[in-house]
Amino acid sequence: MAKQLGMVVDAGLCIDCKGCMAACKVANEVPGDNWRNWIKSGDADWQAKKRGRMVFQPGNCMQCDKPSCVSACPTGATYKSKADGVVVIDRGLCIGCGQCIKACPYGARFRNEKLKVADKCDFCSSRRAVGLEPACVSTCPTKARAFGDLNDPASPAGKLMAQNKDKATQVVNAHSNTDPNIYYLGDAGLKSWPVKAQMPGAFEFWKNLADPAVKVVVGLTGLGVLAMLGKQLMLKNDAPPPEEHGEEGHHE
Amino acid sequence: MSSPKMIPRHTKAGIFIHWFNAACWFFLLFSGLALIQNPELNPLGAWYPGAVRAVFGGGANLLVAHWVVALLWLAVWVVYLFWGMNRFVAPFLHSTFTLEPNRDIQWMIKKNLQMTLGYKMMAKLVKPLGYDGHLPPQEYYNAGQKLAAQGIIMGALVLIGTGFIMLFSKYFLTAADTWLVQWSITVHFIAAGVTTALLILHIYMAAISKEERPAFISMFTGTVPAEYAKHHHQLWYEELEEK
Repeated sequence: MAKQLGMVVDAGLCIDCKGCMAACKVANEVPGDNWRNWIKSGDADWQAKKRGRMVFQPGNCMQCDKPSCVSACPTGATYKSKADGVVVIDRGLCIGCGQCIKACPYGARFRNEKLKVADKCDFCSSRRAVGLEPACVSTCPTKARAFGDLNDPASPAGKLMAQNKDKATQVVNAHSNTDPNIYYLGDAGLKSWPVKAQMPGAFEFWKNLADPAVKVVVGLTGLGVLAMLGKQLMLKNDAPPPEEHGEEGHHE
Repeated sequence: MSSPKMIPRHTKAGIFIHWFNAACWFFLLFSGLALIQNPELNPLGAWYPGAVRAVFGGGANLLVAHWVVALLWLAVWVVYLFWGMNRFVAPFLHSTFTLEPNRDIQWMIKKNLQMTLGYKMMAKLVKPLGYDGHLPPQEYYNAGQKLAAQGIIMGALVLIGTGFIMLFSKYFLTAADTWLVQWSITVHFIAAGVTTALLILHIYMAAISKEERPAFISMFTGTVPAEYAKHHHQLWYEELEEK
């Protein structure tokens, strides 16, 4: 099976300390109010056991198998890497149109306040390049996040996946499953927050109307030109009526 | 064979700007098409952006090449517009944007039929409209050239406007205003499509059709045979005769 980097998260271990968020911000120089990852708080259950209970759900870009952000990108600046299944952004090719930001059901993307182009979690590509785990994984004090190739039982995440084949769940919107690669063990907490994956209006208009219309217009023009060429080849001696040669050719 | 009488039609500056323009449009069209890479769009198929990007060493380089040529194209045009405003630009705009509906609608109908079906069929088909089989006399530019020029000028303005929004959105748009970039991409594509259709016609008429061959040659030499001017641009020819 192809390599697919992902995470297996045990939400029950998360204590909402925000260490992963801080570590990510530092490791990836994420500016200002921008965040590449999050912790979603579930509703408090005061009836549970003696002290009540609350589930915290850590998350970040899910590196989906069917990424709606990639579908919404007109230039291919964002794409799913064939090598490791991470959804990456080519910043040189990104013109900052923001359609991927709208298309993501998880709100995992944002317009980088400094660079003014789309930005999101890439599982810390710069840290992985030197053999380190993503910053959020390394820093987590309760080890709620496990990272690695989901299809490799030797990796921390792959091992958990193999052990919990039927129990690991994805957090998805009921109307648009993008097949995310972050799996949760046990009670994942808040489930209904992802929005429906939707293509932005300008993209839909392009795809459904502008693209076919332009193809028809250019195609018909091509056909018209071919008809003219056909006539040019068939009717070799096509000349105006002789009267036209006189200056007063227009009266008959 | 004695050489036919030639009359000047294009200046050296006009010839230069034409071919400079043609080269830039050609590059911008084919690089622009390769900047689209999405399975749901890909106007020429998925192989095309891949192949062009490989030549340029990646999509990011292709994007830079696209806007560098676009800005160069625009800069040369701005210089030309200011330098030649009175001599070339104003007269060109005046003549291409002045239509005489009766004459020009008739010419468009007849010329299209004649180009596809020939003079005989055209004469038959326009008879019910009360027209004869002659093309109405034309000015320096014929009605088709005028409409094409209008379309291409307006298309170019849209391409420039949307191109600027895409290129400089990082410097003046807030995150909430990026919808403007999104629609710019779509509108840029539409404007490029419409102007491409007009350019297909333009290239056929000039470079392939036999009737306009002298006009094509004049884009290199600057002159057309007097006979050609008399038959294809009669009003212009008569104007020259009067001078």
